[in-house]
Amino acid sequence: MTRFVRSIAGGAGFAGDRIDPAVKLAQSGRVHAIALECLAERTLVPGLRARRRDSAKGGDPRIARRMTPLLGPAAANGCQIITNFGAANPAAAAAEVAALARTQGLADLRVAAITGDDVRHLAGLIRWDDPIEGDLLGAHAYIGTAGIVAATREDAGVIVTGRAADSALFAGALIPWLDGSDTALAGAIMLGHLLECSGQLTGGNFEAPGPGALTAADYADLGFPIADIRADGTFEICVLEGSPGRIDRLTTTLQLLYEVHNPAAYITPDLTVDFTGVVIEEIGPQRVRVSGARPAGCPGQLKVSGFVDRPGAIADVEVGYAGHGALHRARIAADVLRLRLGAIPEADLRIDLVGVNSVLGRLAGDSPGEPAEARVHISARFADAAEAQIVEDEVYALSLSGPAGACSFRSETRPRLEIVNGFVARELVTTEVEWCAA
Amino acid sequence: MTRVRDIACGRSGDKADTLDLTLVALGDAEYALLAAALTPDVVRARLAEMIPGEVTCYPVPGLRALKFVIRGALPGGVYASLHAGLHWQKAATSALLEMEIAQ
Repeated sequence: MTRFVRSIAGGAGFAGDRIDPAVKLAQSGRVHAIALECLAERTLVPGLRARRRDSAKGGDPRIARRMTPLLGPAAANGCQIITNFGAANPAAAAAEVAALARTQGLADLRVAAITGDDVRHLAGLIRWDDPIEGDLLGAHAYIGTAGIVAATREDAGVIVTGRAADSALFAGALIPWLDGSDTALAGAIMLGHLLECSGQLTGGNFEAPGPGALTAADYADLGFPIADIRADGTFEICVLEGSPGRIDRLTTTLQLLYEVHNPAAYITPDLTVDFTGVVIEEIGPQRVRVSGARPAGCPGQLKVSGFVDRPGAIADVEVGYAGHGALHRARIAADVLRLRLGAIPEADLRIDLVGVNSVLGRLAGDSPGEPAEARVHISARFADAAEAQIVEDEVYALSLSGPAGACSFRSETRPRLEIVNGFVARELVTTEVEWCAA
Repeated sequence: MTRVRDIACGRSGDKADTLDLTLVALGDAEYALLAAALTPDVVRARLAEMIPGEVTCYPVPGLRALKFVIRGALPGGVYASLHAGLHWQKAATSALLEMEIAQ
């Protein structure tokens, strides 16, 4: 078997992910690069709203907290950082990183921003899955590896993107060391897809029958994933030696198939990948070898996420009951609300009991015994934001005119934000590398 | 009868209005049981109690896995949900894991 050409780690799986695992990986000197996936589909929205208020804003608000402890160890060990925490404004986020590097005396650090994913100006040329009914807050195309590869070849220490495909953060930093074949690219994209959710590959959000369950202490210190890749795109996954985690066929398979829809055609901007022939071999207590990703063509269009502010608001209110008969009184309170708010269309109203049926609805099964507390939850959608107040008022009215002991109220009103998928011709989207002076 | 969660593990995900469920069987025998019992029609009927949308089934025998993709299950995406709290759909796989199937 040929040697490994590169080692890369997943240092974050969402904007608010733990900071210490990436610092530990950078300090270890074990990896050449760490990718920080900090931009879920919907995480762009706060950035878009911030950029509307101030054109110099729109990056992740946690950049200083995440990068202050990471920049020093990464620079000391020559560990590259690739991240999409540029969110709605990668250039501003990269400038923030460069400024942080200056304050740490890292004036030589080369920081690049990758731009071009913002396609709001092309809105008329995007083929939307559903009609845009409201204010199009933003539209961002999923861009691929091109900009990241270019910046990596020019020795970027930190690369900041906006809406790049999560797997591209990893694949873009690996491509210069691969053999140039589509099969190797398919492997690198699969690697990125596996590592992009940090602890979800190493035993987090996982439960299976049989032995091997992680403890609270294990979860609290869960190792984030490392992959060692060969030039042909096959790779092995592990965690830092001594870090808790579970890496086996089951944990790897669940993450391989996570959110890919059709496993024979996982569509990414650079390549569609077929996962149906993937082989996962357990080759050590915390180590698997992964191979068999197959290239399946290059998509002619890029996926676009559109964010639409619809007029109106969603009211979301809860009330509690405690002590003997709490669940019985909560059921009566829910019935009172159904009677009082019967004018709201069924599709725009949801009333349920937290701890009983608020997650799975009619599939929740029988409620277990008599709980010491119960909460009624109600959400309702209104085309006119001013009408949403009626829900909170009706719930509070239960405290005077409903079953005994209504308590512990919680209430919020939120905008009616919707995500609409679209597609845009790839030749309309041009990415560029912008360098920041450190 | 056996419960799905005794022979498989699962994970839920989502993209825009599409719900994406994965089950992975413990071994080959367990995969054969799952694939025989959780036909597209069975899963469609089960999930219809909970969510709207068209169910597409993708069996992946090489990985001993079944995928169920439900387009239109999350109208407007996760922000537009009327469920208590955000991301109820992260628990959606339990609707399948709790099913009893023939041994």
